[in-house]
Amino acid sequence: MMIDDLPRIDGVPVTSMVTPGDAPAVAELLADAANLGQSVIPVGGGTALALGNPPGSADIALSTRGLGGIIDYEPFDLVLSVGAGARLGDVQAVLAEHGQTLPIDPPGGDDATIGGLIATALTGPLRHSAGSLRDLLIGISMAHPSGTVTKAGGMVVKNVSGFDLPRVYHGSLGTLGVIVSANFKVLPLPRTEATIVARFAGIEEAMLAATTIRTRVANAAAIESGWLDDEWFVAVRFTGREPSVRNGLAAATEVLVADTAIFDRADSAAWWKRYQAALSLTANDEDEVLIRCAVRPRTTAALALGLVAKLPVLGATPSFLGASVGLGAVLVRFQLHDGSADRLAELQMILLGLANNLTILAAPPAWKAGLDVWGRTPETLDLMQAMKEQFDPHRVLNPGRFAGFI
Amino acid sequence: MDRATLIDRLQQIVGPNGVFHRPADLLVYEYDGSVDGAVDTAAPAAVALPTTTEQVAAIVTLARQAGLPVTARGAGTGLSGGAVAQQGGIIIALTRMDRIIEIDREDRTALVEPGVINLELTETTAPQGFFFAPDPSSQRACTIGGNCAENSGGPHCLKYGVTTNHVLGLEVVLPDGRIVWTGGRADGSAGYDLTGALVGSEGMLGIVTKALVRLTPKPAATLVQLAAFADIESASLATSKIIGAGILPAALEMMDNLTIQAVEPAYHAGYPLDAAAVLLIETDGDPDEVEAMGVEIAAICQDCAATTVRSATAAAERDLLWKGRKMALGAMGRLAPNYYLHDTVVPRSKLPATLSRVGEISREYKLPIANVFHAGDGNLHPLMLFDRRRPGDVERVLEASKEIIVYCVEIGGALSGEHGIGTEKRDYMTLVFTADDLAAMAGLRNSFDPTGYFNPEKIFPKGYMCGEVRALRAQAMAQKLGIYAL
Repeated sequence: MMIDDLPRIDGVPVTSMVTPGDAPAVAELLADAANLGQSVIPVGGGTALALGNPPGSADIALSTRGLGGIIDYEPFDLVLSVGAGARLGDVQAVLAEHGQTLPIDPPGGDDATIGGLIATALTGPLRHSAGSLRDLLIGISMAHPSGTVTKAGGMVVKNVSGFDLPRVYHGSLGTLGVIVSANFKVLPLPRTEATIVARFAGIEEAMLAATTIRTRVANAAAIESGWLDDEWFVAVRFTGREPSVRNGLAAATEVLVADTAIFDRADSAAWWKRYQAALSLTANDEDEVLIRCAVRPRTTAALALGLVAKLPVLGATPSFLGASVGLGAVLVRFQLHDGSADRLAELQMILLGLANNLTILAAPPAWKAGLDVWGRTPETLDLMQAMKEQFDPHRVLNPGRFAGFI
Repeated sequence: MDRATLIDRLQQIVGPNGVFHRPADLLVYEYDGSVDGAVDTAAPAAVALPTTTEQVAAIVTLARQAGLPVTARGAGTGLSGGAVAQQGGIIIALTRMDRIIEIDREDRTALVEPGVINLELTETTAPQGFFFAPDPSSQRACTIGGNCAENSGGPHCLKYGVTTNHVLGLEVVLPDGRIVWTGGRADGSAGYDLTGALVGSEGMLGIVTKALVRLTPKPAATLVQLAAFADIESASLATSKIIGAGILPAALEMMDNLTIQAVEPAYHAGYPLDAAAVLLIETDGDPDEVEAMGVEIAAICQDCAATTVRSATAAAERDLLWKGRKMALGAMGRLAPNYYLHDTVVPRSKLPATLSRVGEISREYKLPIANVFHAGDGNLHPLMLFDRRRPGDVERVLEASKEIIVYCVEIGGALSGEHGIGTEKRDYMTLVFTADDLAAMAGLRNSFDPTGYFNPEKIFPKGYMCGEVRALRAQAMAQKLGIYAL
């Protein structure tokens, strides 16, 4: 998406777009919006604008493009401070010059921005071994509708000085403040990597193999399985030093007796880059829906099987299914024929019978009218509303887009 | 509500054996593990020892009716005053809620009550091939509930992360007496990360009554290496070079000569008595990879002029090398009657400068300071040795502490890496945080506990009340506009 165009947020047109150049300018803008009763939609790389409920209103789109750039990078200490508007691809390029990396592979890919990644908490297959930005975030700077700029955490890898606000802001979809910069611990780039991909005749076999890999192979960096390019597949990635990658591949090969292919180094990275694109929140077709369901990890296979059985009955044709057996999450992209708000709401209700949590990551805006895309309302919604009231009492930021229409 | 009524009501909730209220019984609850003098002591009106979540909720509701503050407490091993009932009121001691409710091998989780002892969880799950990764030095005594409150670390958090990285969900009693769950077995629950907010909140946002924690599979191989150096700078350089080479050890600990002098005669761990510093480096994972890392680490240490490098793979040998480190605090009794243990973090590259500044402070204040710490993540633990019976010692220790803290903050460090703020460091918070930063923290507290009766007077500077948040905000704005300075 070109962010020079005025974006529509789930079909709601914004009336203006601003690109503040520093943290105080963001805070001032938010305070002004609060005074004028305007709403502000923070926009980063635009790779995840589909996420969330349609906003109650969308007066101003606040681009974080003016907040890019590396603020501080200490390769010796493996810590990085970076502006919220920095593109992930640019950040990784700088880190790679020093043999380091942020070990994440989010659906938005290189175009996602640091601020957007923290706000949306979207993760990719590497979460299996490396955790998420939640685990790497060591400090954060926020601009609030009160007109203030605050920081929490710091620039060291271990810190318990005061409440852990970085974790509160992570995944809050910009509803408590606008992230202006963030500090991370970074990791050494793995010395090598390899991937084994196996094709299967059916989903039962594929999920059984993935589950077995999870139990038997300790050092996999990622294990994904499901339906990709019209085939049932299992893919296992190994990263690190030569010996552990070699041993991991050998152990995985013992399990994956089916039709397999092995990708080395650059080919392995390329395979996963392509897979990452399959997770994208950007729709390919007008009647496309992307959902993420989660259960306790041990029942991932049952969830995947359940989805495959149920979706066609509901008029949905999956084009992609990616299960993360280590996490208990299944991502499905499908076309909903003759879709409507009612049909999507019905589908969500029925699928909630299969999964503990279900998020509709992307869907045509008109279909979102009758539901909360975040699924089940948390029993602690009133606490969350109280947090919103403390940080954004005039509901300036992303009104209505977050869980429980916060 | 008068005192007799309060005790009676508490006894109705938890039974006659579940309440302590006689002065002699309360004495131990006036303290935690911190140094008397660095942290204030305070007596609670009563201590209640519930055995169920419902009892915790009932006590909280009672406290609310009686207008009394509530302080949750585990084993009381904390080092920042977190479990001391600063304004009196009711202490809820969770040590009788000590069941491991469920171990799930497939999900790799354990559901535990807050009073379960940290090491007990590891020992219980070890036969099934697991361990609980956060391993604070107090792990033989401290509780999982306390670990959650303080977001505890330990030597192995260099590779495995701190407590917050291992908590998947919490059952908590909120300040309004409600029992709720945050997070859970399935990923992706909707809304704000309340689990993340609660872990490390020092008992101010909620009382953990059950924790769903992650179990980590035991690595296939583990190697412990000991490297001795003739000066601290070389040991620091080796630390940085090991991490810089792309090796992520499970733990990387440093002990200086004074520590070695205390430890070696007591435990005979094999640390060279003439070394200025020793490093303990643990690597784990795939056996071939561990072997390769061991070779690289040995080469790096040799390059940094190590005088000795030894490797231990057998469990007994490894345990002996670790014993000196784990028992270091106890061994300090050989050097002085009292010690004050500090917890600050600096960027790893600033370790040599920081240690030499600590050395200067030691000479200036005529206080021996031993250093035994998590070098891999820059988490310092200077141990100031003193004798509280000697007039002026405690005051000098506190003055010297302040100098160390100020220095660490100046070079970009943090007030605390794993011990928490509590009352010990609350007045230092303004060294790092502005009034606005604190107002954001207070905002979080107000959402959970608008009247501030859960563990009052912790984290926030003395005299900082919730009602002041708005005033502080206004003050901050005024400051920005140049009307007057803070």
